[in-house]
Amino acid sequence: MTAQFPTSDTVSYDTKSDTKARDLPKAVDLAVVGAGPAGLAAATLAASAGLSVLLLDENAGPGGQVYRAITTSPLGEGRVLGPDYWSGAALAREMLASGATYVPGATVWSLSRELELGVSVGGQAHLVQARRVILATGALERPMPIPGWTLPGVMTAGGAQTLLKSSGLVPEGRIVLAGCGPLLWLLAAQYLEAGVRLEAILDTTARENWRAALPEAFGFLTSPYFRKGLALLRKVRAAVRIISGVTTLAAEGDESVTAVRYATAGGESGRIELDTLLLHQGVVPNVNLANAAGIPLVWDAEQLCFRPDVDAAGTSPVAGLAVAGDGAGIGGALGAAERGRLAALAAIAALKPGAPVLAQRPQVEAALHKALRGRAFLDRLYRPADGFRRPAPDTIACRCEEVTARQVTETVALGCAGPNQLKSFLRTGMGPCQGRMCGLTISELMAEAQGVTPAEIGYYRLRAPVKPISVAELASLPKDESAMKSVERG
Amino acid sequence: MSAPSQTYDVAVIGGGLVGASIAYGLAKGGTRVAVLDEGDIALRASRGNFALVWVQSKGMGMPEYAGWTVRGAGLWPQLAAMLKADTGLDLCLEQPGGFHLALSEAELEKRKGLLQRLHNQPRMHSYDYEIMDHSRVKAMLPEIGPQVVGASYCPLDGHVNSLRLFRALHTAMERAGVRYLPNHPAEQVAYEAGAFRVATPRGEVRAGKVVLAAGNGNARLGPMVGLDVPVRPQRGQVVVTERTQPFLRYPVVTVRQTDEGTVMLGDSVEEAGPDPTVGLPIVSSIADRAVRMFPRLGGLNVVRTWAALRVMTKDGFPIYDQSVSCPGAFVATCHSGVTLAATHAFVVAPAIAAGRLPAEEFEVFSARRFHVPAAA
Repeated sequence: MTAQFPTSDTVSYDTKSDTKARDLPKAVDLAVVGAGPAGLAAATLAASAGLSVLLLDENAGPGGQVYRAITTSPLGEGRVLGPDYWSGAALAREMLASGATYVPGATVWSLSRELELGVSVGGQAHLVQARRVILATGALERPMPIPGWTLPGVMTAGGAQTLLKSSGLVPEGRIVLAGCGPLLWLLAAQYLEAGVRLEAILDTTARENWRAALPEAFGFLTSPYFRKGLALLRKVRAAVRIISGVTTLAAEGDESVTAVRYATAGGESGRIELDTLLLHQGVVPNVNLANAAGIPLVWDAEQLCFRPDVDAAGTSPVAGLAVAGDGAGIGGALGAAERGRLAALAAIAALKPGAPVLAQRPQVEAALHKALRGRAFLDRLYRPADGFRRPAPDTIACRCEEVTARQVTETVALGCAGPNQLKSFLRTGMGPCQGRMCGLTISELMAEAQGVTPAEIGYYRLRAPVKPISVAELASLPKDESAMKSVERG
Repeated sequence: MSAPSQTYDVAVIGGGLVGASIAYGLAKGGTRVAVLDEGDIALRASRGNFALVWVQSKGMGMPEYAGWTVRGAGLWPQLAAMLKADTGLDLCLEQPGGFHLALSEAELEKRKGLLQRLHNQPRMHSYDYEIMDHSRVKAMLPEIGPQVVGASYCPLDGHVNSLRLFRALHTAMERAGVRYLPNHPAEQVAYEAGAFRVATPRGEVRAGKVVLAAGNGNARLGPMVGLDVPVRPQRGQVVVTERTQPFLRYPVVTVRQTDEGTVMLGDSVEEAGPDPTVGLPIVSSIADRAVRMFPRLGGLNVVRTWAALRVMTKDGFPIYDQSVSCPGAFVATCHSGVTLAATHAFVVAPAIAAGRLPAEEFEVFSARRFHVPAAA
């Protein structure tokens, strides 16, 4: 990796002056987890209504993934990242002025049904009791388990974009993008804007997806994404070799990736030498904290992912706990902010009934409706193909424990009922990724092997800690006499 | 998967370590076995265990249980070898002896007293153990912290990879012809004309004999076949760290390093009813004691915690019983499914196959021991 851009002065945000860990409040009206668009909007609105709000985020600055490094990016307010990116700066500014207590560098590793949060800041663990909690933990990239996807030099487009946003870094050498979805094209456009050459884009969007998406096209044509999307596609298509209708992909190399092989639905096949292969096939909700806190997961057959069981305002079956933004189902950054506001309004209605701000609800709902226009079109158009979600037998499905798809289907043949039993057999989902890079693959493989839907198979049951915490931090938490007694053995 | 229509020699209800060990033993002896199990989510004690093959300090109040445990530990190498031959899976059984560390003089004195009383019991099957001071322990466990004042050590103790045991049993069961039926929770068990019918949501399973190995579910199923199985759930919580280089050559009753390099820290004893959720004060206490025992653990990251429910009787000892009113119905329940796995495969299974639990060995484990009037 090399830095391609000189550092420039941007909206400055001094992380050293932040709330120190020792200043974390013991109790708050509302805790918001995640400072992406949903969390920023939720915290801002709730604080402006007079609630005591604690906004916890693991990054060094506000913005989440989509507006990562919005206050510190070395790229300046220029063209590379585009105006949509810089619109996140307003959300961040409003939050910083709202009176919410914002704690960056805070890792929330546990949340109980009684709404007690386990938080680590600077290596020190704390417990915070909240009356209401909004989880705005955003999205993760969907795994794309092709042969060779674990080779060094193969990474996700989202990971590459993170480096671009936060550090202005791009991979060295020849770059190929492969997969589907808006983020793939956005990254391509950002690279082009930055003067980075791309060898090719291997587009895995299935031809039949266009037919399936067509009935939803009107919504998309009237959506805020349409014009921008079209302009972006045109720009990339004009500058990069695009290979469409790709149905198989394999990364090759011994020590690290050296080439990608592909074949298309049209019968074309080829091999491209490269130094970096960037994979992407859409994003899915990051459900770990929500599920560990007791919110059941439901299968979303349109978006082909599990999401927490919440309503439009993010209200979950766990009293006082809501999920907003892409963590509750993928809706994009603009929709996420409105969903954050809706969840905040629900919290305000519960804690400050009669607050004047509650009158804003219809406007927020209308804005959300507008922001979600075209989503169904995007979902159908960029629906990842079966062969890229359920890998071939010899391909690794679980990276942490190096388990192949074949091992999974063989274990199903032994009578293994679902992903939670599979852990006992193969340790899948028990590694450091805690299922984030294998969960969907495993559920889909098991469902296919048993001839049922992923809804029937279910997902990993997730538990705290959903983020790493050291044994020493855990040991430093308050404990009572009876707890100490229960672990002494006679 | 639909329920098969054929009749089995034995239906084992429960596919955990107890049920799988017995089913494996039965199938190796030529019995036709079906194992009925629940689905993906269930209260499963045998997926939450600490994986010790443990002898020291067991049997206070029932010396026969100490003997039963020593026998189980002794049979373990045979089970590990047999499963390896059947499946190719290495269970990583190690029996180098194990430690119980004391963090204060009072704890050490208490430990000493308990082991003395245990070994002074009439009919006690005595075995070697040793009380060690800090420096003796340090010679064997160089990483202990200064707060460790001493320990008890028993050369019979050991540990195993219990998830691999689980996988090996299920693989070996399948190869030995056991029919494993997941998503078949037993709703009713009926005894008619010398045979058993087990009703499940996916149909009925018929068998000449039935073995209740459903953990805490045995309390509900037992009375259907004339068996009293007074068990209750007792919560235990465990903390697991990331992988680290080997530093612990012997298992400690609450700290053990797995063959994969992770370190398991455990395990609490809580009367919390049927609630299997993790409680932070408890896992914090577990972490605190572990760090005082081995300071280097403090810097490791926790990757998982879990809570599981032990299957506990009033006196803490297992129940092995056979029904008088429904001959052919058996129950096996304990909270040491790992330690006793070999005993279940090699001793309990053949007795069930023969149709009778011999009184000289099993009478003491009958639930009738709970029926003695307190004044008698």
